Amino acid sequence: MDSLLEIRGARREFVTPEGDRIAALDGVDLDVGAKEFVTLLGPSGCGKTTLLRAISGFEALDGGTIRLGGADLTALPPFRRPLNTVFQSYALFGHMTVARNVGYALEVAGVPKRRREAEVAEALDKVGLSGMGARRPGQLSGGQRQRVALARAIVAKPRLLLLDEPLSALDRNLRQQMQIELKTLQDRLGIAFVFVTHDQEEALTMSDRIVVMRAGRIEQIGAPRDIYRRPRNRFVAEFIGETNLFPVTVDRVEGPTALARTAEGVELLLPAAGRKPGEAITAILRPTDFTLADKGIPGTVRSAVYLGSDLHLFVAPAAGGPEIRVTARDGQAAETGAAVHLAHDPARVHVLEGG
Amino acid sequence: MRNPWGWAALTGFSLLFFVFIYAPLFVIVGYSFNSNPVNMMIWERFTLDWYTGLFGLTERVMDPNSRAAYIESTDQMIAALKTSLTVAAFTTTIATVLGTATAIALARYRFRLRGFYNGFLMLPMMMPDIVLGIGLLIFFVTLGMQLSMLTIVIGHCTFLTSYVFIIVQARIAGIDPALEEASADLGASEWVTLRKVLLPQLAPGILGGALLAFVISMDDLVITYFISGTGDTTLPVFIFGMIRRGVKPEINAIATLIILASVVIAAAGLWLRSRKTD
Amino acid sequence: MAIRRQSAILGLLLAPATLFLGVFFLLPLLIIALFSFLTPGLYGGVEWSFYHWNYGRIFGWADGIMEVFEPVYLRILWRSLSFAALTVLVTLLLCYPVAFWVSRLPERSRLFFLFLITLPFFSSLIVRLYAWLLILKPTGFLNSALMGLGLIAQPLEILYTPTAVVLGMVYVMVPFMFLPLYAAVDNLDRAQVEASMDLGANRVQTFLKVVLPQTLPGIMGGAVIVFIPSVGNFIVPDILGGAKGLMIGNLVEQQFLSARNWPFGSALSMVIMSVVLTVLLVAVTRARKTGAGHA
Repeated sequence: MDSLLEIRGARREFVTPEGDRIAALDGVDLDVGAKEFVTLLGPSGCGKTTLLRAISGFEALDGGTIRLGGADLTALPPFRRPLNTVFQSYALFGHMTVARNVGYALEVAGVPKRRREAEVAEALDKVGLSGMGARRPGQLSGGQRQRVALARAIVAKPRLLLLDEPLSALDRNLRQQMQIELKTLQDRLGIAFVFVTHDQEEALTMSDRIVVMRAGRIEQIGAPRDIYRRPRNRFVAEFIGETNLFPVTVDRVEGPTALARTAEGVELLLPAAGRKPGEAITAILRPTDFTLADKGIPGTVRSAVYLGSDLHLFVAPAAGGPEIRVTARDGQAAETGAAVHLAHDPARVHVLEGG
Repeated sequence: MRNPWGWAALTGFSLLFFVFIYAPLFVIVGYSFNSNPVNMMIWERFTLDWYTGLFGLTERVMDPNSRAAYIESTDQMIAALKTSLTVAAFTTTIATVLGTATAIALARYRFRLRGFYNGFLMLPMMMPDIVLGIGLLIFFVTLGMQLSMLTIVIGHCTFLTSYVFIIVQARIAGIDPALEEASADLGASEWVTLRKVLLPQLAPGILGGALLAFVISMDDLVITYFISGTGDTTLPVFIFGMIRRGVKPEINAIATLIILASVVIAAAGLWLRSRKTD
Repeated sequence: MAIRRQSAILGLLLAPATLFLGVFFLLPLLIIALFSFLTPGLYGGVEWSFYHWNYGRIFGWADGIMEVFEPVYLRILWRSLSFAALTVLVTLLLCYPVAFWVSRLPERSRLFFLFLITLPFFSSLIVRLYAWLLILKPTGFLNSALMGLGLIAQPLEILYTPTAVVLGMVYVMVPFMFLPLYAAVDNLDRAQVEASMDLGANRVQTFLKVVLPQTLPGIMGGAVIVFIPSVGNFIVPDILGGAKGLMIGNLVEQQFLSARNWPFGSALSMVIMSVVLTVLLVAVTRARKTGAGHA
């Protein structure tokens, strides 16, 4: 894939009021393809917003370069960068009509009024707000404002659109609807999106690739499925989705399967490929990877939470050790205090090297 | 949750408080229509003499027995009013520009002397009028500047810049910085952003600051008193002089007109503000 | 926060006010300081030589030949400070309950009463003081009313007394105390008051432990804003105060407009200015401390 955006060695330090230096960006390399939807995901303070603002030009880098389509942007002020942003607060100009908001980029670029009006109408049409041009931002609903912000940011036809947690102010239903619409719009426009969020579900739904960040560094870059099924380390595993982590020692290898055991004695089966007896590793199993069966890890249900379509169980293994999270399908009855066995498919186990 | 007796007592106290604030003004208004010139506090009958006297509509005789004790001079009063309006107009313009520019600079730029400027811009407002007044007096006299309308405008601008600064700064604090970032992001240069986004957003604050500056300039007594010299006098200084020479019924009439004007201005200000909120 | 380059626009925004206030605000203050150390000329005007007796006359050193130490100046300074302090106290006691009351009113009436409070800002200071002259005169409104009601036989002598001066200052300063107080009271989270009572504190305890500490910044703000113009006031004592109501501001005015002793007047002004700057400094450092504590 030829990359549109190339970030190399981006560094940015902040000094806290107490005088401590904090690296908001600690040597970040990132490539974004011309039609790619890339999400920056991480807990607050991980540097994702700083990275986005460095791309848009609102944060200067202490080191590193940012190139867009081969041109070096690093030293350019925001208004000279050929990319646009959808702001978290939308940042709509309250003193202007919707149409003037949307046409702002063209207005300041000196595009003649007639052409401007045509392009504004087109942009409003793309976000499903045709005919709303005469209104004021104050008269719109949250979802409509979101769309205006979107239309405003795409009217100048940037090759890269940056989105800073644009859905965080919307309620759950509208958010899910907008996730789909955003993805569709990105496909239709054929441009790159860099999207910042702390919501993993949002990231998994929309992205071509997810960039998981922590403490100014990139922990893992990959397709949603890769990130979920094959996290590179504990942090990624625990940040994306619910996880059971088992520090285990490999006991023996039998054909395609290996048997491993936790210090307490909980036994797990996992793929044999590359495993050696006596090796200390971490086995990762998602709650959905377990099923309630007649055989498997024996344990007692400590609590059961009913969540619509499925049942979340916390099971204390009979051997001891931390409780295991299990998602049982609706209909599988398991009450608090019930004795159960947890079975799993060895192929679903993901292994992290080391304890 | 509240006990009714406590609330009733609080309400009573508060209503008395408002009586305390407004009763004196009503006393003036009432007695501006009283025909008794000797003891204005004893009601004789309704008259408009003091108002017509103000405008020189009545023949006035310099006779101690005459009812209309001579008010200094209608011409002087009109001239003082004109001076006040002229001074206020110039002062408002200058102080609004200076105060707004500084408020924008302090709110939107980081620079080394920022903390110093914040304090420095507050100081003229906090400085007691009399200190500023005599400081300017000595300054102008030492420099050999003729005391005139110009010196009054300069004097008013010093402390009114502070007032505008504070009002506009408060308004800026309520504006999302992302608006200006959005503008820059969409390709507008710093100057275009200032003109197309920040200033329109600030407009109500600037207008409010200007209105306040105008009203305070019209009302300023102390500073003007020291630096107005003999030529140009403003209305408050003129009235102050009249009061010092003794209470005359015409003062009631002027005072009533001023009260009326201030109510109109305040209502206009309120109306402007309520219009801006939607 | 956005990064902004230190651009030409920043210079353009700052230069006018810097220049203007530098010349017409800072220089005049410096000139007062300079004049306060110059020798008064015999017939007004100054001689450009160093002279510290201006301060000597006020604070107690004097050569006894040219100038004499007159304790009256210290007394008047003390009176100015105590009048100003009294004004702060009275406005506070008046405004605090009312601020509370207004903040608890329904929206429409709250806006109405807030408007009534701000209205005096728009009306003339001199007119408002003049009203009290009419009211307090021996033949004025108050005495006519009280005598008419048969409550008193002789007119009360209030005008030209310290009472009249403090009354006048309270009257003109009330809005300045009210607004910061109201802001503080209105900011107060009502749920905290309820929480305090829920936890067993009675009204007095709740007031002392929850309400008062949280409205203290408003009280301090109002106190400073009222104290500063009060201490150097000369209009109120000029109109309502007699010899016993004379304040330091009147002394300054006399030195400039009748006695024509500018250096001595400048020294008196320096005294006012130091009082004001001290109060401001104390207030700002206190506000910083409590502000840091709350954040």
